[in-house]
Amino acid sequence: MSLLNIAKDQMRLRAHDGVLTDRLVQDPASHGLGRLPKTVKPDSTVNSICGFCGTGCSLKVHLKEGEAVNLSAQTSYPVNIGMACPKGWESLTPLSAKERATAPLLRNEFGELEEVSWEKAMDSFVQKFKLTMNEHGRGAAAFLSTGQIVAEEMAFLGALAKLGMGILHGDGNTRQCMATAVVAYKQSFGFDAPPFSYKDFEESDVLIFVGANPCIAHPIMWQRVMLNKRNPEIIVVDPRKTETAMAVSTHLPIAPKSDLTLFYGLAARLIELGLIDRTFIEEHTNGFEEFESFLQAHSIDRASALSGIDPAELDRIARLIGSGKRVSFWWTMGVNQSYEGTRLAQALINLALMTGNIGKPGTGANSITGQCNAMGSRQFSFTTSLPALRDFESAEDRQEVAEILNIPVERFPTQNSYAYNEIIDAIDRGEIKALWMVATNAGHSWINQKRFRDIRKKLDFFVVQDMYGNTDTAQLADLVLPAAGWGEKDGIFINSERRIGVTRRVRKAPGQALSDFNIFRLIAHHWGCADLFSEWTSPEAVFGILARLSKGRPCDFTAVTGYAFLDANGGVQWPLPEGQTDFESERRLFEDGHFYHADGRARFLFEEPRAMPEPPDSEYPFILLTGRGTSSQWHTQTRTGKSDVLQKLYPKSPYIEINPSDAERLQIRSEQMLQVASRRGRVAVKAVILASLQPGQVFMPMHYPETNMLTLDTFDPHSKEPSYKACAVNITLS
Amino acid sequence: MLLKEQGTLQTPVGVFSVKHEASAAEPEQAKFYKQLIPLSMPGEGEQFAFKVDLDKCTACKACVSACHSLNGLDDHETWRDVGTIHGVDLAGASYTQTVTTACHHCADPACLNGCPVLAYEKDEVTGIVRHLDDQCIGCQYCALKCPYDVPKYSKSLGIVRKCDMCHSRLAEGEAPACVQACPTEAISINIVNTEAVAEACFLPTAPEPSYTLPTTQYVTERSIPENTQAADLYALKPEHGHFPLVLMLVLTQLSVGLYGYALFASGELLVTQLKMAGFIFMTIGLAASTSHLGRPLGAWRAFLGLKRSWLSREILSFGIFSLAAAIYTSGDFLEIIPEPVVTLSGVLTFTLGMVGVFTSVMIYHDTRRAYWKFPISTLKFFGTTLALSSAGFVAFCAFNGKASVSATYLMLGSMLTKLAVEAFMITSYQDSEMTPRRKTAMLLIHPLRSQTISRFALSLVALLAAGFLLTSPANYAVASFAFVCLVSSELIERSLFFKAVAAPKMPGGVY
Repeated sequence: MSLLNIAKDQMRLRAHDGVLTDRLVQDPASHGLGRLPKTVKPDSTVNSICGFCGTGCSLKVHLKEGEAVNLSAQTSYPVNIGMACPKGWESLTPLSAKERATAPLLRNEFGELEEVSWEKAMDSFVQKFKLTMNEHGRGAAAFLSTGQIVAEEMAFLGALAKLGMGILHGDGNTRQCMATAVVAYKQSFGFDAPPFSYKDFEESDVLIFVGANPCIAHPIMWQRVMLNKRNPEIIVVDPRKTETAMAVSTHLPIAPKSDLTLFYGLAARLIELGLIDRTFIEEHTNGFEEFESFLQAHSIDRASALSGIDPAELDRIARLIGSGKRVSFWWTMGVNQSYEGTRLAQALINLALMTGNIGKPGTGANSITGQCNAMGSRQFSFTTSLPALRDFESAEDRQEVAEILNIPVERFPTQNSYAYNEIIDAIDRGEIKALWMVATNAGHSWINQKRFRDIRKKLDFFVVQDMYGNTDTAQLADLVLPAAGWGEKDGIFINSERRIGVTRRVRKAPGQALSDFNIFRLIAHHWGCADLFSEWTSPEAVFGILARLSKGRPCDFTAVTGYAFLDANGGVQWPLPEGQTDFESERRLFEDGHFYHADGRARFLFEEPRAMPEPPDSEYPFILLTGRGTSSQWHTQTRTGKSDVLQKLYPKSPYIEINPSDAERLQIRSEQMLQVASRRGRVAVKAVILASLQPGQVFMPMHYPETNMLTLDTFDPHSKEPSYKACAVNITLS
Repeated sequence: MLLKEQGTLQTPVGVFSVKHEASAAEPEQAKFYKQLIPLSMPGEGEQFAFKVDLDKCTACKACVSACHSLNGLDDHETWRDVGTIHGVDLAGASYTQTVTTACHHCADPACLNGCPVLAYEKDEVTGIVRHLDDQCIGCQYCALKCPYDVPKYSKSLGIVRKCDMCHSRLAEGEAPACVQACPTEAISINIVNTEAVAEACFLPTAPEPSYTLPTTQYVTERSIPENTQAADLYALKPEHGHFPLVLMLVLTQLSVGLYGYALFASGELLVTQLKMAGFIFMTIGLAASTSHLGRPLGAWRAFLGLKRSWLSREILSFGIFSLAAAIYTSGDFLEIIPEPVVTLSGVLTFTLGMVGVFTSVMIYHDTRRAYWKFPISTLKFFGTTLALSSAGFVAFCAFNGKASVSATYLMLGSMLTKLAVEAFMITSYQDSEMTPRRKTAMLLIHPLRSQTISRFALSLVALLAAGFLLTSPANYAVASFAFVCLVSSELIERSLFFKAVAAPKMPGGVY
């Protein structure tokens, strides 16, 4: 605009229009969308699955000349039916952050990370890993993968590392969230098979949420609960009065870690009252008799004494579970991230099995997933199991996979991998000397974070592959490989309800950043094992391989011919074996009462509850609970911390929530800075006084690096998942 | 191979097929929101209003980002906010509720009433309060006037913008972005009777609704405990310092005072010096006020708001004041201006200056913020006028080898009064309730501590110097030192005036 025009513009007495007004003027609806500002009017759209949580919402990305300019929620997708949470809405913003890694970074002789060419980065990568493995063997190198990348990339990473490079140990960050559910399902049902579809939220009469806060952690699942027209009774089991507890009629504010005893007490009461489905138990399960005798030591009174919930209330809930109504159990990290998480998840599975609440509409023992591709990782990551949950230690399984992949069976490790925590211990022992970490931020998220940071010094070579060059972990790396992020690559995610959906490339990656898929191709080439992966040319080609790997397994999706098929069907839940052409979009498992164990029966599994590993004492008198802070924060905030809009929706500085009576006793006022210390670390955080916690409990969200300075590194013995949600701390005024 | 690899990776986006859809008769989302917007237009005495079902709002905050994305706002710009309130009921159970909030499209909008250039319109049919972006001059007075912190200033655009209830969507039968995006249908648009709004109870913990008559209805079937508080009640975040306004206020007040002294002082040289000084300070002050505007070229339209806006009145008063001051001041040099005209313009200068200072007081008083109430602003602004001009007068007298004991006393008296009141206000930090007064006191002694200390220390030094002047008259070095200290001190006082005000707002969440 010329100066003259500006002056003219400003000479008007009344300006109902003009350049500023124009900025927000909307164009009429098109592309099935409503009115949109002219400035971001799309010329086409494409659907893409969101890359944050395991809900698996479909986002309609608005494209202008092929590049994403905006997005909205997809109306017709069976998961999110037109809605998205703020993270989904803001998905594109973190792609443009100035912190993006745009070139490989290698630590130079001055100890600084310096930009280098891909050529040099690859030389260094290959040389260091080969050297380490030649000197110290296959067990001296390890990789840590993630539930944040697409399944094709995850499978490629595992195959490349284990079969191509010969690395023995590899695990994923799904160990930190879903491992418990995996093991619980595998042991109980014979396969890692979450049995539900989201439709069950709408079709249930009694929904019991345990250690789950869907209102903020999975808002779009909560939307489905709100669509339930059966006037359901909703029960939330959580020490804190969370957003979800606030929204429902019944909240059981149990004492932390009294959960296992509580559910055994309810099971015992169900047997006492005779409110169990004997026919179902006899026809479809094993181990009930043993369970029944085990429960003789349990009762509502014992559960009440430990949990602090009134026995009459527990009795009411037992009767509700056994009422014959459609009862569903839903859990997430409050269960999974526990030192006895596997048995706890199975305690819920047991309740569903003994009351016949499985395989029917509105029922099930249902694990809600954390990450967008936790399910893909669980089935195809090549880390602690072979694809489609086959066993590295089984010669038959190795042979089968080798044939499908056309990779010599001799290249397959015959022993299993260490789990994440065992990899960390092995680094500490000096056994593992080179580590390759992809799209996860252990320097923030690993339990007892200081120990991780300390043992990192024992690594000879530490590679971090990430979108951002400055994550807590990338700063510790010897080599940083710049990766494309969500929205800059194609592939599939598998969501909580087993739905496979496609995520699309709608932006160019910045600078020299490459998709993880292409980084793996590059490494294969430089390592000299590219021949093994001649078929692994594109994400969709690998998708075909994954489908072949699923054949004949419970997760068989051989009927899915490719991305176009997924798009056309609004995503597809497994199983969908070849030949099955007529199928419902929303399906649940076990409708025939047939489980995946060889005998077709589900198993009752149980174990005597154990005391908390670090109970509060006079020195550390508070129990520290951890969890999700707000709906606008995701994990370690590497992405959500880069959107101005999301930043406005969460507290900027780390804080601790404390009960008003404790605050009064310690003379703590709101907003005051406090020193919080555990036996492992000390941090400074702001006080937030809230009655939603019980006295003696404090809460810190996991999104701030301070939290894992305090947590205690204990693990569930079956799933090896870290127990993030209970350790002892003390609080002093700073 | 590597280079080839690189090349193929950087192929443009679009290798996959892009799905084109035929444009449908209505947006796909329409099926969800049709029952959430009214079927008809409001009638006489009615308007559109947001309705928020608190029982359905469970903290997902999608409304904020959907509004941002679907309205094409700037990166940092949001027209909706989500806050939290919490309390404990009589049975000891905790109560937590998220509150989504945007513009309340008030029946008596404070933004509209305060705008000097009529950049706000209340739509006669829908009642939607619309901001005319091209009419706005970026004075940001609406942001001070609105008790709900709705209009947001964009530095890059030089204007404020705010929620318009997606009026152009509503006009086409589409729902506003927030309504479209709420997964639990907690937000809807309905038609309210504007008179009933005045009697309806608004949201507890939100600013008193009688001021602007907000039309948003917050409904809940739960009872909200009496002790419920906003989550950010105790947050101590200083407000914007508005340095140009600090300069403008302090220097125009000094200037008016100096013209007052010029009118009554004797000695031709001294009078000319006073006028000249008054003119220079006035010019700097008014220039600063112009630099505060995002789009100063449109400021000439400021007369439009005279009927309602104290800012219009201030601009007009100081506008004429500056003209009169120019005549009065140049009268000493330009002999063509007849003596009576000069005298008359002198009287006019001082009178309009005092009127101007009064309008400044009213601008802030009219925001209904506790720290800017009439008695406090009056004391501060007229106190500055008296104290600074007296200090200036003393300094000029000293330059001319004269002492002015009475002006020194005036300066001492006015400053001591100001400081006493300011010190007294700080004692509110001990109040039991987190009132706006207490918040101001807490801001002054916590985040703004060093400025508060500087304010008192500089004043004390100036006062000691003035005390010294009473014993050893006509020391121009000490007199000008006292003047400089006092001006600096007053600039800090005015900066604290802006920073330490407790600005009313809807409950926030970011503690």
